[in-house]
Amino acid sequence: MAIRTTPLHAAHAEHGARMVDFHGWDMPVQYEGILDETRRVRAHGGLFDLCHMGRLVLTGPDREALVEHVFSGNFATLKHGRAKYGFLLNDEGFPIDDVLVYREPEMVHIVINATGREADTAWVHDRQTARGFDCNVANVSDDQAMIALQGPASEHVLQPLCGGDLSALRYYGHMHAPVCGHATFMARTGYTGEDGFELFFDKAHAPEVWAALVDSGRSLEVKPIGLGARDLLRLEAGMPLYGQEINLGIDPLEAGLGFGVDFTKDDTVGIPALRARKEAGSTREAVSLAQQGGRVPRTGCPVVAGEEVVGEVTSGGVSPTVGKNIARAIVKAGSAPLGATVHIEIRGRNHPMEVVAHPFYKRAR
Amino acid sequence: MADRPNDIRYTKTHEWLRIDDDVATIGVTDFAVEHLGDLVFVDLPDVGLDVKAGDSVAEVESVKAVGEVYSSVTGEVIEVNEDLSDDQSSLASDPFGAGWLFKVKVSGDTADGLMDLATYEEQLANEGEPS
Repeated sequence: MAIRTTPLHAAHAEHGARMVDFHGWDMPVQYEGILDETRRVRAHGGLFDLCHMGRLVLTGPDREALVEHVFSGNFATLKHGRAKYGFLLNDEGFPIDDVLVYREPEMVHIVINATGREADTAWVHDRQTARGFDCNVANVSDDQAMIALQGPASEHVLQPLCGGDLSALRYYGHMHAPVCGHATFMARTGYTGEDGFELFFDKAHAPEVWAALVDSGRSLEVKPIGLGARDLLRLEAGMPLYGQEINLGIDPLEAGLGFGVDFTKDDTVGIPALRARKEAGSTREAVSLAQQGGRVPRTGCPVVAGEEVVGEVTSGGVSPTVGKNIARAIVKAGSAPLGATVHIEIRGRNHPMEVVAHPFYKRAR
Repeated sequence: MADRPNDIRYTKTHEWLRIDDDVATIGVTDFAVEHLGDLVFVDLPDVGLDVKAGDSVAEVESVKAVGEVYSSVTGEVIEVNEDLSDDQSSLASDPFGAGWLFKVKVSGDTADGLMDLATYEEQLANEGEPS
């Protein structure tokens, strides 16, 4: 497969980014270092190139009926101008992807993972065809840029460039306003646990808007941030990564993400199956682990309680915010209660970690 | 870039090797350290371990990755750099000196393909080291 690049590829090289192959995309993994970048976003802010993420725009008369049919959350009560987190579930109730759905009066905007750009689109099309919904599902990922600005300084960085009043935009709210004079759909959402914005606009303007944000952020210590820090930021904030915390083998209930599912919906793909499992009770649960120093927990490390392997790490890393190594793990239900010591196995050796409260980090509001 | 010594040998996998009499001191190069990024842990072998040339005997772990360290000599591990268990910073600040990893008393073969500095730097150029 040919490696894909975003419209900001040249800008990353200019900023001295180290690039990696991320699911077929040549993306910046770090600029100044993953730990420093993570600290920077928590203290000041950072800019993220997310043009590799997938985005769908649904228009036409039956668009909301289609969303209600494929999206696990309660869409009907979502107000215009608000966003909601949830899943696209398969018939068995396992997530095909996790998504953010933004409801607008004339359209629905859905952000999906980079890995789901083509597959999710095809799946939604199939469901649309099967039910004969009269609407248009457009995969706009190739045409639309996506940039996130995250961190406490975000509003101060963006406001001078923005034709709308950002102070009026609440968390998980969205609106249309020009940025650098270009029509932009923007939301107060993100994947870091900080205040911030995600901007969607014509990709032709991506380098110009990126450069303007870099300029505006300079005096506020806000800089471009790589995917390495992004992964750490979301893990610290307790946010799942599709493919790790949830996948076709770990459902939202087991992952502790039941809040993204409206179990009262009957006509949504996967919910009847998931509801049956909820009633039966999950046999596994997600837990959070932390330990000062030592080996770094990595995805796939076995988790041992007593003498028994009870599960595995789904994501792990070194948290500069908490000052410890941290991990999220999926384990046998009840095997790793809060406060217990479990072990992660690396190279045949067991390393202790404590079961701690979730999430690892929550910003003061 | 750290000044790379001219009097030691280098490996394709970015270890360095200094042999004094029958004792080999082994570490990793500045290129390896730079490539790994923020270091957080070094897993060293037990003193007394018998190693064969080509064995993976240590790991240098960064925030994002784990780098295996291979012994390029056969023998017995006689000393490890205990200072690194609490503080890995010398790996970045002095990779060819204070950042050494372990010492092996050589009793057998040395791996093929050890390089002098010029050959190693040629390899780095091919791997795209920024000059």
